Amino acid sequence: MECEYITTLHIERGMVPEERKSDNGLIISFEDRTYSYLNCKEPAIQNINLTISPGEIILIAGPSGCGKSTLLRSINGLIPHMYPGNSSGKVSIDGLSVDKTSITEIAKKVGFVFQNPENQIFMFSVERDVAFGLENLGLRHEKIREQVDWAIQLLNIEKLVNRAPHELSDGQKQKVALAGVLAMKPRILILDEPTSLLDPFTALELVEIIKKINQNLGVTILIVEHRLDLLINAATRIICMSKGKILFDGEPRKVLTEKKLPRIGIGIPTITRLHRILNEEKPVFGKIPLSADELATNLKLILK
Amino acid sequence: MIEFSSVEYRHPNGVLALRNIDLKIRKGEVLAIVGENGAGKTTLIKHTNGLLKPSKGKVTAFDMDTNDESVANLSRKIGIIFQNPDHQIFSESVENEVKFALKNFGFKEEAISERLEWALNFFDLERYRTTSPMLLSGGEKKRLCIASVLAWDPDVVVMDEPTVGQDFIQKERLTKIIQMLVSKGKTVVIVAHDIEFIWPLQPRVIVMCGGKIIADNKAGKIFQERELLDKARIVKPQLQELSEKIHGESSGAFSNIYDAKQWIISKLKSD
Amino acid sequence: MQWIAQGFIFRHTTSPFHQLDPRVKLLVSIELFTLSLLVDSLPEVIIALSGIFAIASISKILRRISRTLTYTLFFAIIIFSINILVGYPLMDAFVIAVRFLAIVGSTSIFFLTTPPDELELVMKWFRLPRDIVFAFVTAVRFVPVLMMDALQIMDAQKSRGLELQKGNIFSRFRRFIPILIPLIVDAVLRSGDLAEAMEARAYGAVKKPTNLYQLEIGVWGKVATILSIILIVPLAYLFLFLM
Repeated sequence: MECEYITTLHIERGMVPEERKSDNGLIISFEDRTYSYLNCKEPAIQNINLTISPGEIILIAGPSGCGKSTLLRSINGLIPHMYPGNSSGKVSIDGLSVDKTSITEIAKKVGFVFQNPENQIFMFSVERDVAFGLENLGLRHEKIREQVDWAIQLLNIEKLVNRAPHELSDGQKQKVALAGVLAMKPRILILDEPTSLLDPFTALELVEIIKKINQNLGVTILIVEHRLDLLINAATRIICMSKGKILFDGEPRKVLTEKKLPRIGIGIPTITRLHRILNEEKPVFGKIPLSADELATNLKLILK
Repeated sequence: MIEFSSVEYRHPNGVLALRNIDLKIRKGEVLAIVGENGAGKTTLIKHTNGLLKPSKGKVTAFDMDTNDESVANLSRKIGIIFQNPDHQIFSESVENEVKFALKNFGFKEEAISERLEWALNFFDLERYRTTSPMLLSGGEKKRLCIASVLAWDPDVVVMDEPTVGQDFIQKERLTKIIQMLVSKGKTVVIVAHDIEFIWPLQPRVIVMCGGKIIADNKAGKIFQERELLDKARIVKPQLQELSEKIHGESSGAFSNIYDAKQWIISKLKSD
Repeated sequence: MQWIAQGFIFRHTTSPFHQLDPRVKLLVSIELFTLSLLVDSLPEVIIALSGIFAIASISKILRRISRTLTYTLFFAIIIFSINILVGYPLMDAFVIAVRFLAIVGSTSIFFLTTPPDELELVMKWFRLPRDIVFAFVTAVRFVPVLMMDALQIMDAQKSRGLELQKGNIFSRFRRFIPILIPLIVDAVLRSGDLAEAMEARAYGAVKKPTNLYQLEIGVWGKVATILSIILIVPLAYLFLFLM
């Protein structure tokens, strides 16, 4: 079964998420979902109510152990199929219940990139690994070739095609992993701390690629990241979690004004913290800046 | 205290990892080594305790030539905390994990107990004393690794990418630990690519690129040079960027948000 | 030890032999292997070894094979000594020892010229169960990774004062526990991650997965197959019955 792909998708920014249309994109919804791992008394996620519309780039933040990884794995079916536990409520992708659909079926629509680049590359050659998912789906040989070439070109890794994975840098490995996932043409792309083992420069490159994937291909992006400064400019929405619950959910500028964030263990970017203490002293510094550039521009206007 | 003289290092497979390194690490200083992955940072620090011996040149630590000393001897004074806790945890209990190095270094029984108590308390691991370290969370394992090294009280503490995968609270804790070490007069060397993390410490910074040290200066000065940062593929700290946009390039930067706030507020009042 | 292992790890090189269909390479290797088994006199062993070195030089792996065989010499000498002790005449013992080298060399040829991915295709062609083939390929892929992990673990433990070289045989074993345990745990953790990634890439979606690469013997493959059969079969006959 091959997925249809639309290469242009109109995303009207500025619209409230609920108002966006599901034009060939998939809506993810959590309805009062609670889940606890086997033999765990405390639920890993509690009473999650969430709707994710096609085309969004959502940053999920929270301290270690807050349930972010559980949330992500509840979407692609790893939970509950690979990690059976106790759950209540519902998770659905465009109406299809995750509980009742197999992981392999969901894998056709939802791609998942994990934190450790090394542990998601199986084959001895890059090209073969990119083809892995497509081979698993039983696509025709020519189709596999086509989609593999497309993914490799998209991520600019033509030079790496015949290399062995252990010869690559972590950044290159992560690109290979991403290519392997994109080759399957998912409508939703989930990334669980994809940059945590990368240096900031390489991390920013990866973020740029992810942005382009979202903008040019209309793929919905969900990404977990600790270093908010890397993603704050790209995300259309931030969800903050703590102890299994969603505390804040909304536009980055709005969520960053919440005073509780540092106390629950979410590290806001330096510039944002500066703006916050400035505004506490004298509330004249305008809206929250998402970059040093923005704050500098604001300051110049105010100080002149 | 630790000195590299014309050090060159070639991997067994022939790749030249360090070129012509000259470096003096002074007692009590905080040194940050920055640069992209593969620039040679980890290779450099492995020379400090003799894990690697230079192919050319010499490394002396505490007046000992690293070529002539065992890693165990050098490690007694120079403790390296590696990046991946799973690559060293092996004991049946947290207690034994901390004691491991102490026993290896030949500490006496009373000293071992004393150091153990201190480590478990300071790092908030007392309640896990008899727990298997494999059952701890990622952050706790990291703390355990740091505790195991600081337990033997080395004079120099080297941290290899301590902030990877750490959340905000864990990073704050780390900063406090570094400040504690500095206040005790320890020399701290941090290999980091998390510039935002090291910036408030205002350390001495050396920039590595392609196996060479291409810059060596105070943090405030290093991050001014755009070309240098681009060449070494380093991201500028946000406060530096802010200062430059306000004052223009080659200006001193705010070292922390409180200094920045003071300057801005005072500028506002004077207008 | 390391150099013997190197005799079986594939490196990217190109040569006319490398480019042949892996089934042909396997055939040639098996033919040389069988020939080596049938050796029981000096001229025969020389022929077998020449065959092996000839193929090795076509495949540009002569240096690597020579190195491996030099280190395998250690075992060959043990075999030689045992045979002498048991009472075999000098020449026979020598031939048996050198025969061992030929056997190792012929197997080495296959592994040095066939990347794990091609190995996988051959295994699939032999209709081995998919899960076993996948486990094998992934294991091979992770050998270098686990080797590097082991080195990192040794670094960390040495920095905590562990001295691996000290002590007698028994205490040395014990000293390896701080290396072995993290390595095993690390391997287990990696496999957990891999399992998640496998599922996320639809492993098991279809009973018969398809392939990016397809095996094709091609003209040269057919030529090589025929040539090798023409050369080796008569020799085997010769070794077995006449000499």
